[in-house]
Amino acid sequence: MIYDTIIAGSGAAGLSAAIYAGRYLMKTLVVRGNFGGETATAGQIWNYPGAPGVDGYDLMKNFEKQAKDSGAEIINGKVTGAKNNSGCFDVEVGPKTYHAKTLIFAQGAERRHLGLAREEELTAKGVHYCVTCDGPLYTGKTVAMVGGGDASVKGILDLAKYVDKLYFIVRADKLTRPEPVNLEELDKLGDKVITLYSTEVKELVGEGKLEKVILSREFDGSRELVIDGLFVEIGAKPDVFVPTSLGVALDKIGYINVDNLMQTNVPGVYAAGDTVNHFGPFKQTITAAALGAVAATSAYNYYKKHGNLCQTHWKVTSQ
Amino acid sequence: MTMENKKVKIYSTPTCVWCRATKDFLTEHNVPFEDINVASDAVAREYMFKRTGQMGVPVIEIGNDIIIGFNEERISELLGIS
Repeated sequence: MIYDTIIAGSGAAGLSAAIYAGRYLMKTLVVRGNFGGETATAGQIWNYPGAPGVDGYDLMKNFEKQAKDSGAEIINGKVTGAKNNSGCFDVEVGPKTYHAKTLIFAQGAERRHLGLAREEELTAKGVHYCVTCDGPLYTGKTVAMVGGGDASVKGILDLAKYVDKLYFIVRADKLTRPEPVNLEELDKLGDKVITLYSTEVKELVGEGKLEKVILSREFDGSRELVIDGLFVEIGAKPDVFVPTSLGVALDKIGYINVDNLMQTNVPGVYAAGDTVNHFGPFKQTITAAALGAVAATSAYNYYKKHGNLCQTHWKVTSQ
Repeated sequence: MTMENKKVKIYSTPTCVWCRATKDFLTEHNVPFEDINVASDAVAREYMFKRTGQMGVPVIEIGNDIIIGFNEERISELLGIS
């Protein structure tokens, strides 16, 4: 069986691509990876048109249902390898291999870590990367958030529902990237949030669990900040291992390089969502969905012109 | 269908996406489970921390086995879900 397209990833970009590919009557396989991508963990979303205040997980469940209803087949697992076999792509998902005429990489990005000693050891023991998952565990406690972008401010707004006190540790000397409406909400939290500008976390301290952090500069007469938990929202790095093994070129900062039609340098291979940097740091559900739709349309146009190459090759090699 | 009959407990928070994914998965496979909200239940939170040595959710208790995070493969294995 040869799929017309295989989509790696089931976030807003991957599922949007699946909806479009399904509507183009392409035999479509979605390899889920982490279901829902960044949108699923975003909590309530207020800027997705037509669905104000929608929960990110629910929105992605709707995307997935729509993709299935459009004819896409969806399997669990992660794309672990891919080979270009003269116009056909062999796609490995664990021990299984699937075949496709086109590929769309939409496997998103992984949360960036601080890169500090003991960070891995203390992950989930006071150091966390998902506010919607682990934030409620800190009800009545004191926590810190490391960040500066919109996601970190949204994270603080969520955390503030549970915690008593919050430190916002920001490397820059002011906040320029968060959406104004979220900054307005941040202001409303008043003294509950203390923002430490021009400050970095230098060290994580604790036995068995995080007890305090060492800051790059003094706050309140000390570089030690005693907290119960530390949340990290400092962006994400794209997951590009499989595409690069296929010869897909990256841009200067490590994202998959695509043109305006989401085409990579490898014919028949497309990318969308947080694995590309098409809109710079503006990475939203709406932009990911749009990029996925464009990638699927490009894959469809390629498949119409060149899809039979794979079919021919498949027949020859199968004999 | 499950082939095993083990007691299943999920230690979760209401907003945790992987907790919801775990519960959806079990529901889809007709596996009954007890959902324990560790955001509001301090005793359960302490138990979870002592049992696993960590504060991430979901934690899934299947019989005497513990799974940290939504590990579909491991859950299926322990419950005999094909």
